[in-house]
Amino acid sequence: MGFTTRQIHAGVTPDPTTGSILTPIYQSTTFVQESVDEYLEKGYSYSRSGNPTVKALETKLADLEGGVDCSCFGTGMGATTATMLAFLDAGKHAIVSDVAYGGTYRLATKVLSRFGIEFTFADTANVDEVAAAVRDNTAMIFTETPANPTMKCSDIAAISEVAKSAGAVHVVDNTLLTPYYQLPLELGADVSVHSTTKYMDGHNATVGGAAISKSEEHGAAIRFIQNSTGSIMSPQVAWLTSQGCKTMSLRMDQQSANALAVAKFLESHPKVEQVCYPGLESFSQHELVTRQASGYGAMAWFEVKGGLAAGKKLMDTVEVWTLAENLGSVESLITHPVTMTHADVEEAERQRVGIIDGLVRLSVGLEDAEDLIGALDKALAGI
Amino acid sequence: MSHFYHFDTISLHAGQTVDPEFGARATPIYQTTSYVFPDTDTAASTFNLERGGHVYSRITNPTVGVLEQRIAALEGGSAAVCTASGMAATFCAITAILSQGDHIVASSQMYGGNVSLMKNTLPRFGITTTFFDPTDLDDLKNAIQDNTKLIYGELIGNPGLDILDLDAVVKIANEKQIPFMVDATFNTPYLCRCFDYGVNITIHSVTKWMGGHGAAIGGVVVDGGNFDWGATDKYPTITEPYAPFQGINFWEEFGPSAYATRIRAEAMRDFGATMSPMTAFLLLQGIETLSLRMDKHMSNTNALLEHLSNHKQVSWVSHPSLPTHTSHALAKKYLPKGAGSIVSFGVKGGRDAGKAFIENVQLASHLANVGDAKTLIIHPATTTHSRIDADALVAAGITEDMVRLSVGLEDVEDIKADFENGFRAARKFADS
Repeated sequence: MGFTTRQIHAGVTPDPTTGSILTPIYQSTTFVQESVDEYLEKGYSYSRSGNPTVKALETKLADLEGGVDCSCFGTGMGATTATMLAFLDAGKHAIVSDVAYGGTYRLATKVLSRFGIEFTFADTANVDEVAAAVRDNTAMIFTETPANPTMKCSDIAAISEVAKSAGAVHVVDNTLLTPYYQLPLELGADVSVHSTTKYMDGHNATVGGAAISKSEEHGAAIRFIQNSTGSIMSPQVAWLTSQGCKTMSLRMDQQSANALAVAKFLESHPKVEQVCYPGLESFSQHELVTRQASGYGAMAWFEVKGGLAAGKKLMDTVEVWTLAENLGSVESLITHPVTMTHADVEEAERQRVGIIDGLVRLSVGLEDAEDLIGALDKALAGI
Repeated sequence: MSHFYHFDTISLHAGQTVDPEFGARATPIYQTTSYVFPDTDTAASTFNLERGGHVYSRITNPTVGVLEQRIAALEGGSAAVCTASGMAATFCAITAILSQGDHIVASSQMYGGNVSLMKNTLPRFGITTTFFDPTDLDDLKNAIQDNTKLIYGELIGNPGLDILDLDAVVKIANEKQIPFMVDATFNTPYLCRCFDYGVNITIHSVTKWMGGHGAAIGGVVVDGGNFDWGATDKYPTITEPYAPFQGINFWEEFGPSAYATRIRAEAMRDFGATMSPMTAFLLLQGIETLSLRMDKHMSNTNALLEHLSNHKQVSWVSHPSLPTHTSHALAKKYLPKGAGSIVSFGVKGGRDAGKAFIENVQLASHLANVGDAKTLIIHPATTTHSRIDADALVAAGITEDMVRLSVGLEDVEDIKADFENGFRAARKFADS
């Protein structure tokens, strides 16, 4: 069945007791067992280990992503943490994309490093550099494509080959394109992770995460860490996220169309120094994205002539666009990564990977493209 | 079954059968609009009320249903219908049996929203109300007309806290074959089960002590199942065929829950003041601790009554459990566990003193609600009743120095200490 059908129906069957067309919110800690001998006969014991509402979402996401197992978490960082802990022990080594989300960078450098896990931050846009970073103890390659906020892309299939020959798992953060546009597991990756907060919820209502595995074995490893460390999604969040998923493809198509229109407008504006959007032909990895994904997403960045000062003025004066963290929701957001999302990344590292001081990040929402462009036009005129 | 469960057990278990699919211990939140039918015959018979089952969540919902059954069991009624707010409960409860040309006799000591509904709104639809003094039952008798179809009052009146003499009103209501409806919000079924005295219908703002945490708005109408609707021809909405449901006769089909079923079939379906499943879930959580909370509300109230009665800056204290209150004997009879956690008292120094007191307490929240786990406080003369003149204030039983208190569940020593902040600020007005 097609994606749009599956995003609605996968994981959901009418409640057998009442016929309720939606999965009930099982806001319950524990599940009554029929007898000692029939323990877990109905599948559930305690909501940290599993919950029917969360399971419905997990089944849906595994289906959409083309995986066999999915665990949902309280946040996207919860999903990344559990995935890393599932495959990395003290003494193991991971190669992480040097443009990964700032939170992933912080987790690796400030937290997991304390437990004897080694990290190399590599330019994953360059497959040879990834291959060169492989060591005997490399157990994971973690990429994010396109990366937030630089939009730098990684070749999922090629890096999966590198991982395979190194005996490492390839984890792809697929948040920015969603399974609607990009299927990392089909391209050879082992695990897809998501911040469901973004396009899956889509309405700025919840924070959540998911890790989807291609093999039962990997799924069980992640699930074991989740049950041991307790990083779970609540039934209420799972229910809201399931609702959001039902319109994911519709939102992605419209938000991506808006993003392309905005990017084209900015590209032609005399006060704009540069625009970066994977859907633009001027995007340096346009060919790669077109090959491995069926759409370009709704994230973009640009630099205003006049650098940081001009960019700040634009963000402070622009209407319609909201100055707020998060991305992927129906509301268009404008942010300054250097002072907001990526403030924890050292300046030298930021400069090295292309998070320039004047970079203005756009998460394009579902408003009328004309209104979004009009607001940017007005703000640019005021600079 | 020979054993009847007690109140605390009912408040935890009634209405809920453990989820058969997964065994979930808590009630699932059926956040769904509609229900899939196994086949068209089932669909048709469910639509026509020939069989139980859910069609659409405006009318019934499994989560809301658990709350309805639990409240009905706590009250000892035959059935209950939950609504989006307490006011919706009052409106649905009245309009289920009254139509144009009909008349209500209601206590004058009632929540202002109910007074406004009867004084201003219902007359627009031809339903009129005569108000009676709840301390004078001759006044009630004299107010009853040929077209009177309902007697209505609050057990613990607002704002004077006068107690309605249930036995006496029931006697009058039975003689006249008129149903007697009580707003039981302030007492909850824990402090008084009104049906035990022959009351026919209760309504609640479940927002208050029943939910108990100030988290959700809701109401409920409870059918006592003890009124003989067929004894007269005065209640055609219950006893005559109802065209929208293929001429169903509620009285013949549903007997003791005919009234509740009429509310569901008409008010829920046509007015749509439906409680949400999430709200029902939150209220169910609250009801699980109803008796524990009410006991603590009462012990805190009693401790504060003693404290305030002995405070040199307090000019008067009003609560039915005090021997000085005119309803003291009725309170002992109907509310032996306590006469509710609403207290009013006067701060020496009049209007300015009352205002200064309120503005300087910190723990007690200054707001216009009652029945929260937190202590709430308000100065009626400068807030809820600020736009009426001094004479009207007196008529409403409100004095300029009056502070109204909804006693919460904090440690009572902290409430007392907090009040000292208020009294210190009010002191300068007391001396003048």
